[in-house]
Amino acid sequence: MEVVILFTLVIGLMLIGVPIAISLGMSSVLFLLVFSDSSLASVAQTLFSAFEGHYTLLAIPFFILASSFMTTGGVAQRIIRFSIACVGHLPGGLAIAGVFACMLFAALSGSSPATVVAIGTIVIGGMRQVGYSKDFAAGVICTAGTLGILIPPSIVMVVYAASVEVSVGRMFLAGVIPGLLAGFMLMTTIYVIARIKKLPKGEWQGWGEILASGRDAGWGLFLIVIILGGIYGGIFTPTEAAAVAAVYAFFIATFVYKDMGPLADRQARSLSAAAVNETPGSIPLRRRPWAIVTAFFHPDTQRTLFDAGKLTVTLLFVIANALILKHVLTDEQIPQHIANAMLSAGFGPVMFLIVVNIILLIGGQFMEPSGLLVIVAPLVFPIAIELGIDPIHLGIIMVVNMEIGMITPPVGLNLFVTSGVAGMPMMSVVRAALPFLAVLFVFLILVTYVPWISTVLPNTFMGPEIITK
Amino acid sequence: MDHSKAFTDRIEETLIAGILGAMTLITFANVVTRHGFNQNILWALELTVFLFGWLVLLGASYAVKKGAHLGVDIVVNALPSQPRRIMGLAAVAVCISFSLLMLKGAWDYWANFANLPGTEGRWFPLGFEETYRGKGWYEVNDIPHPAILGWMESVFNEGEEYEKIPRMIPYVVLPLSMALLLLRFVQAGWALWIGKTDRVVASHEVEDELEEIREQMRGQN
Repeated sequence: MEVVILFTLVIGLMLIGVPIAISLGMSSVLFLLVFSDSSLASVAQTLFSAFEGHYTLLAIPFFILASSFMTTGGVAQRIIRFSIACVGHLPGGLAIAGVFACMLFAALSGSSPATVVAIGTIVIGGMRQVGYSKDFAAGVICTAGTLGILIPPSIVMVVYAASVEVSVGRMFLAGVIPGLLAGFMLMTTIYVIARIKKLPKGEWQGWGEILASGRDAGWGLFLIVIILGGIYGGIFTPTEAAAVAAVYAFFIATFVYKDMGPLADRQARSLSAAAVNETPGSIPLRRRPWAIVTAFFHPDTQRTLFDAGKLTVTLLFVIANALILKHVLTDEQIPQHIANAMLSAGFGPVMFLIVVNIILLIGGQFMEPSGLLVIVAPLVFPIAIELGIDPIHLGIIMVVNMEIGMITPPVGLNLFVTSGVAGMPMMSVVRAALPFLAVLFVFLILVTYVPWISTVLPNTFMGPEIITK
Repeated sequence: MDHSKAFTDRIEETLIAGILGAMTLITFANVVTRHGFNQNILWALELTVFLFGWLVLLGASYAVKKGAHLGVDIVVNALPSQPRRIMGLAAVAVCISFSLLMLKGAWDYWANFANLPGTEGRWFPLGFEETYRGKGWYEVNDIPHPAILGWMESVFNEGEEYEKIPRMIPYVVLPLSMALLLLRFVQAGWALWIGKTDRVVASHEVEDELEEIREQMRGQN
């Protein structure tokens, strides 16, 4: 009974416009003060230990920073150029290239709305120029952008790993096949549509262009190698890998791409002015050798650090407060009670997963995914373990659910962001995304009922998962 | 007035950028020394973790000021302006109560680490406790005590030497940040009251970027 009050309070507060973090914190505090002996001081301690006791969470600010450095400048353009060189000559080529670019970009940034903004601003305009309808372009990018949270490294996965205490490395590996599969399914769909509707295809630009653009984009894409290679090679912990990635991204953005910092040419640089094939001007390092030092304090660097810091603050404040809620749940053994109730009512794993799907699809529509995850994960995780569901598999299911939630009408986050990026009304984006939403639904069913897709890589490379109840 | 406001903005923004930069460099340096010189920087992890806590807790009040806290605005958007205002005020009232409760909790938790009395009372502070055990001697695990803070030994530890920094230093951010949070929520409440804003939340992380794109579109037309 108390648990119903608790969650009603959380949701009620959120709906009247209280920040998610405060809704979680306030509900937990009230609950503890009324129903238990805990003192306010112990709540404050829990709040601080959210940082002190969860080294995994420490990876989040570094991942955010790495992707901020990477996305400040023209990495998106370079990735798009490379994608067009690879698949642009197929029917519906530019759309397929858009999906491909979203997949690559997703591997650099851990967030879906950010992927839509970075790729969408360039590709949607480009697709219209060569004769695609605006709706089609928006639908493609809107859907492909959701891959941001599924393809590793992903901030949402770090949040899941931290809140239910599974390995980040495993989660990342588990996301690889589903990420590729989802991308492939989207591309195939576009290919089929393009064949039927006779959508334009681009010119085959030759292997030279693939090599040249690949080399150019490679500096950025090497980031994935550092992160995944570093973690699985046993060189870094995930947190360290993220910090190294952030430093690497800083050097690439400042000294190789020269999109920002003292070596960038400060003329005519704006988001929408960025044409696909145009590399911005820059100044060679030998003309400004002192840049090696000044780059660290350059206004661009400060700005990026600040932007990443601000995003860290808003995400982590939610997570820290959600951990107070988790503390409440664990203390009261609420998930265990629900699990027992479900088991005795004869609910099996299949039914349970459907319930989880529904909760997340609804929640994912109007809440930022990592916020939703920290609330739902501690609640459903113990139940899933009781029912014998693999923790990693559950994580992937949850991530895919939230992907879909982001493009499910009426109010998915990605729909909203896309409507801003493409400058078209929300309802047209909803209609445009519908066919691809259907594809993702098929994908969700596949991922939910075929655990192999998620678990084969982590189990092969890191040994079977050991589940402690 | 405007000038001083920009000044506190700058302090907070520099602090957020600086802490994140420091965390990154310390962690990176630790990786380098471990692989390059086969030696861990012992205090690196603990210091990074404390900085992390400082970043988020101090940043939380800045995010209130900028209306950047993530929230759900679907109901708020659907309402006409009068009920929206009332709901906004109710939301701020909840936030202010939360900050007050947490400020008490944060003080109670920190005070004993600094040999100060916590407060009596379960919900509200009802005066200071009369008997308590000071925990000024309680040190962190790894971070060495710098000589410049030597004066703390005579003030908080009866002249006895600190090997590591005392816990009151990292934990002081708790009461500090909660007091700032309270201040910012009161200010946000005032802005709502006089009708300058209609909410205290942002619905997602790329709101600023979207605004930028919209402006560029307007510029093109």
